[in-house]
Amino acid sequence: MKKYIKILLITTLIISFGCKTDDFLDEPLRGQEQLDDFFSTEEKSLNFVNGIYNKVNGESWWQVTMPRQINEMATDDNWSGNTLQPRPDITGIAAYNVFPGSTYFNSFWESHYIGITRANIALERIPGVNMDENLKTRLMAESRFLRAFFYFELVRSFGGLPIVTTYTELLEPSISDKVRSPIAEVYELIESDLNSAINDLPLKSQQSAIDLGRVTKGAAQSLLAKVYLTEEKWQSAKDMASEVINSGEYSLETQFENIYKVNHYNGPESIFEINYFTDLNFSEVGNGLPITNGSRGDQGWGWGSPTSDLENAFLSEGDNIRLRSTIIKHGEPVYGDPTTTSFDGKPTENKSGRTNRKFYVPVDERPVPYQRATIALPYIHIRLADVILMHAEASYFAGDEGTAKTSLKTIRDRVQLTTNMALTGDALRDAIWKERRLELALEHHRLFDLRRQKINGVPRIALLMGPNGSFVNYNVNISTDPFETTNLGEPQDKGKFFDINTHLVWPIPPEEIQLSKGNITQNPGY
Amino acid sequence: MKHLTLTILFTLFFGFSLSAQNVVKGTVTDENNNPIPSASILEKNTKNGTTTDFDGKYTITIANNATIIFSYLGYKSKEVKYAGQKEISISLEPDVAQLDEIVVIGYGSVSRDKVTSSISTVKGEDLVKQVASNPAEALQGRAAGVQVLSAGGNPGASPQIVIRGITSTLGSTPLIVLDGVMLPSGTSLNFLNPADIENFQILKDASAAAIYGSRASNGVVLITSKRGKEGKTKINVDISSGIQTLEKIQMAGASEYMQVINLRRTNDGNQPLYDPTNITTDTDWWDETIENFAPITNANINLSGGSEKIKYSGSVSLFDQESNYTKGWYKRFTGRFNVDFKISDKVTLSQDLSPRVEQYENTPGLLYNLLRIDPLTEVYLPQSQRTGNIFSIYEASNNLVPNPVGVASRVFNETFFFGFFSNTKLKYEITNDLTFNSQIGLNLTKSRTDAFSPTYFTNPNQQRQINTVFRNTSERFDYVLNNTLNFEKTIVDKHYINFLGGIAYDAQNVNFLNASQDGVPDDENPLLRYISAANGETVNASGSESQRNIFSAFFRAIYSFDNKYTFNASIRADSSSIFPEDGRTGIFSGVSFSWDIDSEEFFKSEIINNLKFKIATGEVGNQNIRISGQFFSVSDGNFGFGGDRVVTNFLGNFGNPDLKWETVRDQNIGIDLGMWNNAFTASIEFYKRTSEDLLFNVEPPNYTGIPGTIAQNVGSFESRGFDLQLGYNKQLGDFKLGLNLTIASNESSAVSIAPGIEQLLGQKREDLGNRFIKITEVGETVGLFQGFRTLGIFQNQTEINSHSSENGTIIQPNAQPGDLIFEDKNNDGLLNDDDMQTIGNPFADFYGGLNINLEYKKFDLSMQWYGTYGNDVFNYPSTFLNSGTQDVNIAAGTLNRVWSPTNTSATYPRLTQQDRNGNYQRPSDLFIEDASYLRLRNIQLGYNFTLPGFQNCRAFISGQNILTITGYSGFDPEVSGGGGIIDGFGVDYARNPVAKTFLLGLNLSL
Repeated sequence: MKKYIKILLITTLIISFGCKTDDFLDEPLRGQEQLDDFFSTEEKSLNFVNGIYNKVNGESWWQVTMPRQINEMATDDNWSGNTLQPRPDITGIAAYNVFPGSTYFNSFWESHYIGITRANIALERIPGVNMDENLKTRLMAESRFLRAFFYFELVRSFGGLPIVTTYTELLEPSISDKVRSPIAEVYELIESDLNSAINDLPLKSQQSAIDLGRVTKGAAQSLLAKVYLTEEKWQSAKDMASEVINSGEYSLETQFENIYKVNHYNGPESIFEINYFTDLNFSEVGNGLPITNGSRGDQGWGWGSPTSDLENAFLSEGDNIRLRSTIIKHGEPVYGDPTTTSFDGKPTENKSGRTNRKFYVPVDERPVPYQRATIALPYIHIRLADVILMHAEASYFAGDEGTAKTSLKTIRDRVQLTTNMALTGDALRDAIWKERRLELALEHHRLFDLRRQKINGVPRIALLMGPNGSFVNYNVNISTDPFETTNLGEPQDKGKFFDINTHLVWPIPPEEIQLSKGNITQNPGY
Repeated sequence: MKHLTLTILFTLFFGFSLSAQNVVKGTVTDENNNPIPSASILEKNTKNGTTTDFDGKYTITIANNATIIFSYLGYKSKEVKYAGQKEISISLEPDVAQLDEIVVIGYGSVSRDKVTSSISTVKGEDLVKQVASNPAEALQGRAAGVQVLSAGGNPGASPQIVIRGITSTLGSTPLIVLDGVMLPSGTSLNFLNPADIENFQILKDASAAAIYGSRASNGVVLITSKRGKEGKTKINVDISSGIQTLEKIQMAGASEYMQVINLRRTNDGNQPLYDPTNITTDTDWWDETIENFAPITNANINLSGGSEKIKYSGSVSLFDQESNYTKGWYKRFTGRFNVDFKISDKVTLSQDLSPRVEQYENTPGLLYNLLRIDPLTEVYLPQSQRTGNIFSIYEASNNLVPNPVGVASRVFNETFFFGFFSNTKLKYEITNDLTFNSQIGLNLTKSRTDAFSPTYFTNPNQQRQINTVFRNTSERFDYVLNNTLNFEKTIVDKHYINFLGGIAYDAQNVNFLNASQDGVPDDENPLLRYISAANGETVNASGSESQRNIFSAFFRAIYSFDNKYTFNASIRADSSSIFPEDGRTGIFSGVSFSWDIDSEEFFKSEIINNLKFKIATGEVGNQNIRISGQFFSVSDGNFGFGGDRVVTNFLGNFGNPDLKWETVRDQNIGIDLGMWNNAFTASIEFYKRTSEDLLFNVEPPNYTGIPGTIAQNVGSFESRGFDLQLGYNKQLGDFKLGLNLTIASNESSAVSIAPGIEQLLGQKREDLGNRFIKITEVGETVGLFQGFRTLGIFQNQTEINSHSSENGTIIQPNAQPGDLIFEDKNNDGLLNDDDMQTIGNPFADFYGGLNINLEYKKFDLSMQWYGTYGNDVFNYPSTFLNSGTQDVNIAAGTLNRVWSPTNTSATYPRLTQQDRNGNYQRPSDLFIEDASYLRLRNIQLGYNFTLPGFQNCRAFISGQNILTITGYSGFDPEVSGGGGIIDGFGVDYARNPVAKTFLLGLNLSL
């Protein structure tokens, strides 16, 4: 017995004191890579830049895409649409009864800044990677383009912004003291990034098959043209647009209806788009707009319903080709979808009984199951028609009416409309603006166009909205549209609360004001 | 020298032979005349002693004028002077004073009179009174300074234990030590069968907890399980069974609902929506979703006994509780077998084994939807419209709230949990004073969760087109290795010294695997809800592992002089693998002192039998941080180019390589008082706890683009308060009374946060303008509510116009009569976020419990009351249950509560859908209510009777939570929102209220 006790004791002692503590305490983190070791290979650098692209449209429906839809609702092209679900944080913005705390302002702001930081990390870390120099230069240029893209979206939405251009500054405590820089400084950064990117990006025709969809020289030039146009630098905008048009890289789709098509990636007219695809193994790789922007009678959420005002604009031009590919109406067949002969626009739940045809997927082309974030419909940010119209507008304001008319005609020729080459002055200006509206309708450009296009120095949005706005007046006093006038779940006087002193920019999210302890100040009026 | 030796020997010899040898025999019994084995018989002032045998008999040989001391642990010692008796049999009485009671203090134990720090004891017999899935429920109100915050009424819910206020944002769970084995952080007490517990010792201050070092900052709960005692085998059977019921919440019927919806629109100048004269459907959703009675059953069998060499205690228990919904239950089976084996005089081996199996089904959180869905919706579609599977037979509501009966039918989420705990102890008494203890604790848990989401169709926006089956398996394996050397000796009866030194290893391994796939061919067949049966395209798998190791060394010294002055000092060094190599080791220490004033010569009092003064200070730590907080980790995702998938990588976590421990320093001062031989006891303690290097998840401004939050050691909190415990025991003939009152008060405030940060915000509410409703400011109490202050309701346009700033700007130009008046705090004429201020405090001024035990002949009655005073709650459901702007259902009687021109004294603003005044778009004190309450947690009436063959039988009825006295208008004043103590505490999110339970039970002893 004693012997056994002794053995037991000795064993215990050995176990107790025998373990080496150094190995015992050395336990690294499992299952995850670290940033400092990450930038080691070409493939990893490429994957990191891929991650920046994710923030162009956000990873789901609400961060960035829904705010863009809301922007559309705040114009004369769209109603809020959904009259069944009470969402004052959405419908309020459309009606210019704006609650700054709406989650969509915050998610838009936050998502874009996360994208900016991702670009900053890439710009700081990729130079140190041992990889092919051409690829390195190209990846840096892609990062710059994307950073410029994010800042442009932010400055158009909110005005002056805190500018962050490096990753290292995030490690300093002084990062919390940033204030909003003036709008001019933001544009300086945007222009500088785009000019630098233009030099180092490939042409679309130079891209290999696996790189299609990545940004090109043409994309950077087009975006810069838009930036110049927004800054009213007419000549620069005209020149930059010309470069894209004359590069030979892009041509207009012969059929307008082919611009937005399922599985149709990087078409001849497409300059910068997001290549959504269908694969149920991966989350959020497909488009969600056909659902979120779709009719409530067609499995959609009904957010955003085209106005009769927009339809009238098409009709007044006799523009059937674009009308049938832009607006679907309740009870009518859907152009391009042979199986739908009477569309269910559910007018009791969708304000105008109309839906966006551009984001509509014909029944036969729908994936099974048909649900958000799985649809292979690309989202086009910039296409050649947009650049041509910018060229027309910039030319006009730069004093070159002839060139303006030539570009205008190019667009109208595609949809078999004649162009009055005798137009001049305000009439030409209005024709160009109207053409832009009809060509790019419901593609999320309208709000920014209306804010920057001015008549006698007054932004057009202020003339359309407000208690005496022409759009408001049309709906309240003139419109006889059978759907809109009967579905008053969304009031006809949408836009009457518009205030020119406040509503030319969106409010800074109150969360940011709180988190920055007041360093980031609110826009006037909010 | 030779001379001296001879003299000494001679004297001894004479002395020895002169004293006569007297043999005395006898029996020692307890107060029930049961023999006490191993009772100690000692000849006073000598080393001559013996112990009673199995039958309580003894034989001793003593000197002529000897005095015999009879003693046994837990009983009052008796002295008998020898006067020639041949037989001395004695009956011992239980020692209520318990001055010799052994208190477990961490890696050892001392007698109660040597305790110098703040330790509360809760006995196992008090814990079995409350029948609940978690023994912590029974802990509420029994130990001053220990708060137990209910987790709601779901079966299997784990309450939170908070000891002496808040000193961290990372949670307040104390360290649980079971029979000397530390359990991993955050372990819920669900695993314990309350009937297995001998007692809880709760170490409340740092000087007591310092021996546990870096895991003890929230206090320590030492659990001792029941062990066998020498004697005849005892068998105890306890069974109780009963029903639970919820108090119905009255919601509006169809008529009132329609009127409210219409008024909202007509008040805005729009058309009404419904025709209240035409009611086709009036669904009472409470009755449809909630079952009136849900069963609860608890059964336990315990077997214990032993001889001198082997002592054992074994138990088996079953617990079964169902929720009041169609889904949700909790079943638990535990077994325990503790053996103490005395191998030899010096060596004892103990082995504890405890397996357990738990199974539970999640109770769906339906209350929120149940309250909001409109009464105009039928529960089921008419037969003719049912085109889908059995999950698609539910009607969609007009206001898009998910049909709760439908949701309940589609919830499939079950967890199966197996745990095994082993504790092996070896005790080697090297000498009389020096003991070596070695202990290995093994803790293995495995769990498996199966979830299934069926396809269903309610409407195009509430449907699921493809089903998914999901499984998670987790394993956790921990081992603890403790080795200590303990030297305990009393020198010349005056100096008591106790040294303890030890080292410990603690390793925790967690790993998990998740897998899911969609496309199970048949939604309705439970046998196919496995991944192998699924044939869909979407397959997901994830899994990882983490390992956390701690190596520690510790030392404690106790010195007591003459049973009057006691000093206690301890120190511990912990090295943890989760911190980077520099700064990995933390050192924690504590010092305490107590003075037994009643032992002093100058103190002569007939009434006061115990008066002790205690003072202590110490330092403990908290290393329970998100391990990944240090690392800048990279995550991955997906994107597409040209229609093909590519991998994306991005910064997933912004790290902090300088992360380290949190430290809590505290001071404790107190007095213990016992009067009339402890018939009355009182204990009052004042404490202050300061925490430093607190680990905060700091949210940086969004323009930094930093994903999520950054973990930083910044800031310091302070918690101050007092604990008061009063006890009274009295016996008058057949009538016995025991009272125990605990009262505590605590205030936790923020001393500093991060450099440059003056406040922390929590609980962002999207529908209240994306504003944070909880705020922690430097110098103020943590976790206060913030929002707009209301000053009443505008009665007319004149009032609206006169509510202006100094220069005449109308503050609320969009208001109409019936809207809330908001305070323009900074008087700038604008109503915006700068006017937000503190509007409530969720922490109580006082909280406490009163436990009453009465015995009269064969009857016994016990009651436990618990209450809080002075705490506010953010009644979140009141954002939609009264006026609100969404077309969800409202509480019954809303029409009488909202303002209208004919109801101008109403407290809630007018009905409006547009709400241009923002009555419901911002947090305000409209939603803050006083939630002081007093609740009868437990009342139990028992009757003892005898049956042939049984030693004792008792039948009882009891009621739990049957009476609540409160002014709070919500459903249960005991609330706690998600997000932890600082971020979420005090927000009522319509969590399932605590049920009233009625039980019948039987206790049998053989």
